[in-house]
Amino acid sequence: MQAAEPTPTTAPQPTSRRRIGPAAALELHAGIGAFAGLVCTLLWGLTDSPSFWPLWVWFAIVLSLALHAGCWLGWTWWRRARDRRHGLIAAHAAVSLTAIAILLLVWVASGPGGEFWPLIPVACLGGLLAGHALGGALWVRFDARAREETLTTRVDELTRSRRGVVEAQAEELRRVERDLHDGAQSRLVALTMQLGLAEAELSDRPEAAAKVRAAREEAGAAIAELRDLARGIAPPVLADRGLAAAVESLADRASGPVTVEAAGLDRRPPPVVESAAYFVVAEALTNAAKHAPGAAVAVTLSLDGAGLRVAVRDDGPGGADPHGSGIAGLRGRVEALDGRLGVSSPPGAGTTIEAELPC
Amino acid sequence: MRVVIAEDQALLREGLVALLAANDIEVVAQAEDGEGLLRIVAGHKPDVAIVDVRLPPTFTDEGVRAAIEARERHPGTGVLILSQYVEPVYTAELLAAGSAGVGYLLKERVGDVPAFVDAVRRVAAGGTALDREVVAQVMSASRRGPGDPLAALSPREEEVLALMAEGRTNAAIARALVVTQGAVEKHVTSIFSKLDLPASDDDHRRVLAVLAFMRAAG
Repeated sequence: MQAAEPTPTTAPQPTSRRRIGPAAALELHAGIGAFAGLVCTLLWGLTDSPSFWPLWVWFAIVLSLALHAGCWLGWTWWRRARDRRHGLIAAHAAVSLTAIAILLLVWVASGPGGEFWPLIPVACLGGLLAGHALGGALWVRFDARAREETLTTRVDELTRSRRGVVEAQAEELRRVERDLHDGAQSRLVALTMQLGLAEAELSDRPEAAAKVRAAREEAGAAIAELRDLARGIAPPVLADRGLAAAVESLADRASGPVTVEAAGLDRRPPPVVESAAYFVVAEALTNAAKHAPGAAVAVTLSLDGAGLRVAVRDDGPGGADPHGSGIAGLRGRVEALDGRLGVSSPPGAGTTIEAELPC
Repeated sequence: MRVVIAEDQALLREGLVALLAANDIEVVAQAEDGEGLLRIVAGHKPDVAIVDVRLPPTFTDEGVRAAIEARERHPGTGVLILSQYVEPVYTAELLAAGSAGVGYLLKERVGDVPAFVDAVRRVAAGGTALDREVVAQVMSASRRGPGDPLAALSPREEEVLALMAEGRTNAAIARALVVTQGAVEKHVTSIFSKLDLPASDDDHRRVLAVLAFMRAAG
């Protein structure tokens, strides 16, 4: 138990003339009280009264001071408390201590010789305070458990919905690819056929035929551009033949020597995981071609009960920026599936990009 | 020459029929899916089937799978695959399923009518017609390292083999490389012996050489 009555002893600050702080107010209160008590005691000495009546003046002064100090203490503790619950307990403690101090004061003033009657009220106040503190602690405990359950459920929901968003996005990209294939690309192919036929019919007019041929070649270039676009968003071979075949296809298109090793891919991982792994390899091969041209690249894919692991290693000069925009994009893609992406590129020791995708 | 077509998009199917008809090639039957292809190949015994890679119901590689099955059931049927994408793996699978004519062309090549008609005739006759992009991809893939069956070939021989894979004749190869036809013949003989191909008629050996070339794609 802390002392109930703080006794401020510091002198009033010069600034207190403008605005009186709580400590200064208490000091002022104590000063005025002491002055009034002394005046009364002096008057009693002059009048030669038989009973020591200033005792009651002193009693009132000390009582008001105790109340004042109790309020100040409660307010201070409330302000310093780290949350509302601790603040309430602190205020409760301050009120209890003030009440106990007043009870003791009354007991002392009424002649301390008799029975110690404040015992029961003091015990009751202490019990109430202890009950408050204990109840608060228990409540917090149960509340924390309830909050943890809520948070766990929420995290589960978010994980599921995030994966759902990624899956929906991948499905949407596949749909765009199909639409390109069945729509614009097919129409352009039909157009090149018609232009081809027209070209054949214009064999007796070579100048016109040359113009038609130029138009046909332009349509062919548009088809090629659409093809690259479609492959970039959802490579059909990935959906058709799975990750290993799609990565082989990437390796075939790479400018340098690329080896591919795949293990456990008889079973196909979910499409979003395949797609993320594919784009990790595609980006890593693009990076290798850019920063380590001609370096040998080894791609390993392995699927087991825990998930899919992808590693792309090159024996180039290393020193790649692990926070580059391409890597950041991949990391987002992998982490959206609760996976992890690691880049290791010590200068002179090649670059390794690894991804772990749970599935 | 008897041709069947498997293509799910009416626009392209009709375009192909018109284009072939203009060149006196009769399309005897058309199908819209893989099962339809198997049915018309069984019913019409065509010289060549022109097949879109993507067919219903899966819209993935239904066409390639159906074509491989058609070749297994009816050996000697030439297959010319049309695709929006270059995927050497499909060509390798088709070649592995029999050594009769095989072609794999990007769809936009049909616009070059004389070359396309030429490819159809070549495949019908048991030759090959691989898109130059497929060939280019196999060429780059074949530089992948040890164990490559094409490692023994000289750069010039690789060029000749790539042009053979596209389906060009020795005369056409000679024109493309600006050398004499005799020089091309010498390279071709050297390729056959380096790839250890059994003695047989030249057309068949050419297909086998292309098959070896495709295997290099893995």
